[in-house]
Amino acid sequence: MSSKSLQRKMDRLLTLENQGKLRTSTMNRSVRKLSANVLALVGLALFLLILMSSLAAPLISSYEPNAIDLKHRLSPPGEGHLLGTDQIGRDIFTRILYGGRISMFVGLGSAIGAALIGVSLGTYAGYTRGVLDSAVMKLSEIMMSFPQIILVSILVTIAGQSLWNLILIFILTGWPSMYRMTRSQMLSIREQEYIQALQAFGIGSVTISFKHMLPNAIGPIFVNITLSTAMFILQEAALSFLGLGVPLEQATWGNILNVAQDLNILRNAWWVWLPVGVVITLFVMSVNFIGDGLRDAADPTQVG
Amino acid sequence: MIPFIIRKVLVLIPMLFVISFLIFLGIELMPGDAVDFMIPPDALATISQAELDVLRAELGLDDPFLARYGNWIGQVMKGDFGYSLQSGVSVRDLLAQKLPATIELSLAALVISTLLGSLLGVVSALNKGRLGDHVLTVAGMIGVAIPQFLFGLVMIVLFVFQMELLPVGGRMTPGNEAFFQRLDHLILPAIVLGLSMTAGVMRYSRASMLDSLSKEYIRTARSKGIPEWRVNLIHGLRVAMTPVAVLIGFRLPILIGGSVVIEQVFQWPGVGQMFVAAVRSQNTPVIMMVAFFSVSIVLTASILVDIATALLDPRVKLS
Repeated sequence: MSSKSLQRKMDRLLTLENQGKLRTSTMNRSVRKLSANVLALVGLALFLLILMSSLAAPLISSYEPNAIDLKHRLSPPGEGHLLGTDQIGRDIFTRILYGGRISMFVGLGSAIGAALIGVSLGTYAGYTRGVLDSAVMKLSEIMMSFPQIILVSILVTIAGQSLWNLILIFILTGWPSMYRMTRSQMLSIREQEYIQALQAFGIGSVTISFKHMLPNAIGPIFVNITLSTAMFILQEAALSFLGLGVPLEQATWGNILNVAQDLNILRNAWWVWLPVGVVITLFVMSVNFIGDGLRDAADPTQVG
Repeated sequence: MIPFIIRKVLVLIPMLFVISFLIFLGIELMPGDAVDFMIPPDALATISQAELDVLRAELGLDDPFLARYGNWIGQVMKGDFGYSLQSGVSVRDLLAQKLPATIELSLAALVISTLLGSLLGVVSALNKGRLGDHVLTVAGMIGVAIPQFLFGLVMIVLFVFQMELLPVGGRMTPGNEAFFQRLDHLILPAIVLGLSMTAGVMRYSRASMLDSLSKEYIRTARSKGIPEWRVNLIHGLRVAMTPVAVLIGFRLPILIGGSVVIEQVFQWPGVGQMFVAAVRSQNTPVIMMVAFFSVSIVLTASILVDIATALLDPRVKLS
């Protein structure tokens, strides 16, 4: 923000204050900052829209996601099928709704699982340092030197393809970055004086790190969880495209997109792959907007 | 400087051993062993279990785990990476055959994303808060959110099916194998892979440029009466681009991962496509060698980045 527009803003605030129109808001400052952020609000609205319609899928659509109708194969949008049907006559719109449930579950579940491991290890090891910290740090370094998709593919081959295996593998490959982020937060917090005071009282390291330090790092952690959710959803889609994701019987966003590998469908049946592609992009974008908004809201150095 | 480099390389060696061990453990955990793959299912009926056991013993599959690992790593260090379970071709020959295609594609994408990303980032930073900045920021946000392969598919539909400008996939048409004759095959995958990585570079170089422009020496330069474009481009840009250059090293894992997906979309006959085919058919020697190879590249690159940073930035301590 240039200094001139900042000055104008301050002038406006001053006149409002002189007129007695300015009250101190009782709302939490972070919540206020978040709600002033247009992009974050748009993101939140989009996110809720997609989430709610997926959850309410049976109310919105009268079709079954896996009901095959060979009479109406690859029929274009219209005539009872809002977004047409796929190569074996399943209703695309319904599949996108139901597929969203699983894709979001994979994304959010993996992000939360990875956070549980990464954050708890990072909180404790980041505070106590020592052997545990250097061991986990080395391990995370090793895991992060694998290109993600290669590591995930290998693990899928070992564990076999299934929904739960995929989530487990995402958690297994996702925790190192959570660990590093939490650890770096802890390293800066542990230098603060109140930690010294707590240590002087003889409080145990588990209590200090989890009860007194972790709450001060919670902002960046939430940001990281949202951004990882978006990343895992994109990864699920990419893996499905490679034929290594959730088994094809289950509708997920990635599995619906998978048929676009067929050049004939790609060329002549845009409704099979384009709408679901747009939904994935919009959803990932909305989650990213929320994440960016959270980051700004949690950052005390930014004016709100 | 020299001891610094030596120390870095010395850390790399045990790390590679640990990774090779993990990868070997991975082979062990995969279902089936070499004998299962060597004998076709219809021949299996005529072979007794005793004969299979003899074969396993001859191949050394009965040895304890650590002995087999020692054997394997010894062979790898001699340059013998094993044989593909599908074609029987040695993995080394396979890699040598597929690697040029992947390097060609990755290099093109790296050049596109670096040039375009830093250019757009700088333009964005110089127009901060204005329309151009907002447009670029939104474009970058879409770029980060769209699945890479979907972007590739949309480009295929647009440029191949609708406009019929470019060939649909592969690396060359038989008969036209010189570099300029097969350039039209390279354009689309390189642009897709390059553009999908541009958003990240753009965001980074915008931040870096803004940071550099807010420094004291920029104000000094302005107060000396140096023209604005000179301040921006000579004084601001030079400092801002150093971290962007270093970022190339950190983008390698993303580049390798991205090329796996993009090679699949465009049927580009590179290492990534070979890897996906190997994973689908559980071709363990190929999977493991590609994994080991890519990790080695990433680790080597990160050391090079450390060294480059130390050379470029006198503030980095070498201890």
